[in-house]
Amino acid sequence: MKYQSQSVAKLYFIAAIGLFVGQILFGVIMGLQYVMGDFLFPYIPFNVARMVHTNLLIVWLLFGFMGASYYLVPEEAERELYAPWLAKLMFWIFLFAGAATILGYLLVPYAELAKLTMNDLLPTMGREFLEQPTITKIGIVIVVLAFLFNIGMTVLTGRKTVVTIVLLTGLTGLAVFFLFAFYNPVNIVLDKYFWWWVVHLWVEGVWELIMGAILAFVLIKITGVDREVIEKWLYIIIALTLISGIIGTGHHYFWIGAPGYWQWFGSIFSALEPIPFFVMTLFAFNVVNKRRREHPNKVATLWALGTAVMAFLGAGVWGFLHTLAPVNYYTHGTQITAAHGHMAFYGAYVMIVLTIISYSMPIMRGRVANGPKAQVLEMWSFWLMTVSMVFITLFLTGAGILQVYLQRYSDTPLGFMVVQDKIELFYWMREIAGLIFLIGLIVYIMSFFVKHDDEVTA
Amino acid sequence: MKETFTKGMARNIYYGGSLFFLLLFFALTFDTISELPDRDNRQAINESVTLGKKVWEVNNCIGCHTLLGEGAYFAPELGNVVKRYGSKAAVKAFIMSRPKDGVPGRRSMPQFNLTEDELQGVADFLEYVGGVNTENWPPNIQG
Amino acid sequence: MNSTVKQSEITTKYHLPGDLAIWVFIFAELLVFGIFFLSYAFSRANNVELFNKSQQTLDTASGAINTLLLITSSYFVVRAVTAIKAGDARRCVNWLAAAILGGGGFLVIKMMEFADKFSHGISLGTNTFFMFYLSMTFFHFMHVILGMIILAAVLIKARKGGYSATEYTGVETGASYWHMVDLVWIVLFPLVYVIR
Repeated sequence: MKYQSQSVAKLYFIAAIGLFVGQILFGVIMGLQYVMGDFLFPYIPFNVARMVHTNLLIVWLLFGFMGASYYLVPEEAERELYAPWLAKLMFWIFLFAGAATILGYLLVPYAELAKLTMNDLLPTMGREFLEQPTITKIGIVIVVLAFLFNIGMTVLTGRKTVVTIVLLTGLTGLAVFFLFAFYNPVNIVLDKYFWWWVVHLWVEGVWELIMGAILAFVLIKITGVDREVIEKWLYIIIALTLISGIIGTGHHYFWIGAPGYWQWFGSIFSALEPIPFFVMTLFAFNVVNKRRREHPNKVATLWALGTAVMAFLGAGVWGFLHTLAPVNYYTHGTQITAAHGHMAFYGAYVMIVLTIISYSMPIMRGRVANGPKAQVLEMWSFWLMTVSMVFITLFLTGAGILQVYLQRYSDTPLGFMVVQDKIELFYWMREIAGLIFLIGLIVYIMSFFVKHDDEVTA
Repeated sequence: MKETFTKGMARNIYYGGSLFFLLLFFALTFDTISELPDRDNRQAINESVTLGKKVWEVNNCIGCHTLLGEGAYFAPELGNVVKRYGSKAAVKAFIMSRPKDGVPGRRSMPQFNLTEDELQGVADFLEYVGGVNTENWPPNIQG
Repeated sequence: MNSTVKQSEITTKYHLPGDLAIWVFIFAELLVFGIFFLSYAFSRANNVELFNKSQQTLDTASGAINTLLLITSSYFVVRAVTAIKAGDARRCVNWLAAAILGGGGFLVIKMMEFADKFSHGISLGTNTFFMFYLSMTFFHFMHVILGMIILAAVLIKARKGGYSATEYTGVETGASYWHMVDLVWIVLFPLVYVIR
């Protein structure tokens, strides 16, 4: 580790993994509720388990992005972090606020939570992924601004590289678009139109810039390939991302009350959205092939390559399957959506955070890479989680195809609950795959505690 | 003659392309907003609908249901529920009748203990959403 | 001696005028416009009546003048490249200026067309034909502006003596982009304005 302040990332990564475990536990609970409908009812109704699951996901990924930034920016900028004390303070505030919010979801009925947190002053609760009380949202803004300030000052007063500029752009975009979470009009069409300015422009927009920058950093370090080459690819990838993804937002505007031309614009441009992920895959494999050194951290390389592939499959291919309006007309809001959502989030964002942790954690613990036993265990966790995610996605896709046919396409459509009964088998299989995912995550955590291994220290 | 695709070229395409499409997106947003009054059924928005949306939000209905296809996939689509159930009264009756401890073995909806005004509000809200021009979505009455 | 001659022969045979980057960009642009055109054709096949009727309200004369303007300005750009290849930066600048003026004329006439349509209450939501007509021509309009900016950048650099008979890649690059913009219009005009 070149700069002492990089170690602040360790805190963030530990919290990230902890919250990840929480997320998956609640995922497994939900999966069971799908087939045992009153499991834990009325103590933890499905919607509560869901908001815990999705909010934990988003928060742990944010912890991951922050940790990644605190690690790579000092190294890229060739200076210590501007204010390490601020990073540590924000860590505890964010963790506390996050924990309090999750506990709020679990211990108090949601309508009660709304009253307790004075939602009526500025009502922002009750929308998907944005279930946080308004005060939590304000807290998030403060934490993110402090983080941006810290990272921004480090970048701007140090050596500027394409990696840090792209990362900073992505993070700034993240902050700016989050502000739309505060806009909650009565007009349901306007509500939905601008809700997507948070969600789509995050995960199909600025988050891809963050992901690209982190991937580029890891590949520069691991392969030793010339920075000029890698940074050029990074520009190409993010250009393709924004060129396709900005108007691609229109693929969420097909059926929510927006004008019909969005079916054309949204379909055409979002059909192009897999291209940057495809290029990312070519880029990652190409660069690893042309590597100038044999880096001892093999598992980090595996995560990096795996990220590109799974992001392409989950976000690119599965996204493409239901992005064209004539198809989406039938698949909108079905298990097809859930299938795509899981593999996309895992492939792109879960995996990029696990990649940077895999690369940087050993270094922060005093070695270049973990020893063979630890790396092999971590590789096991990679395959367990990745393959089980593929199966989760396949099973949900199967469920979705059947659901679409029976409930939407057939000349004699069946009701929602009737169809859910008929596709139960797929849900059971998904739950089993989900349990294997959880096992993979446990193995992942175990890999951090392997002792008496031949660590590579130089 | 230069064959190389330089980093600078890529950077320019990124800046130019992003700016162009951002501007185009703003232009389309502006056009969309100006076309909404004819599509979004805003004439139906009254105090009861406003209350209904708030009740919808603070009880996190979206956590199990979809509304115009967006939300969770545990429970039915509600954009067209007033049509599907035949009347607002039927929708209200359903919400009111949810057993406190759920239906054994079945996906259960909580009992929210709503007041008459809140129930009416939710029903009015759902009727209002059902009147939005969604380009003929969903494909049928089942949602 | 012999090997160096062969070397230069090989490079000139596989010579694309201008930077490789701009050709990647050009092909990407053509791909997007191509998708637009195909979508238009597909949509028209399902709405022949509507498309024919709406098409008749278009000002074909303006479209034809615009076609002439773009073709002429493309010719000017060719002359500009020839000039710089001969080392004549001054003439190159003049031809580029003329080309930019042609582009400007295109923009003016197009804006008059748009103004006329909007004043009749026509917008993106009027019907499918007008959705296509307005989006495609507006999209192309923006590319004409971009082309003019690129040509202007080349012109400024040429004026400062940045190009010569041996170093003129930038001029070819700008010229290639302009020709693409022209080509798109040459397909768009008959497709949208004329073919019934």
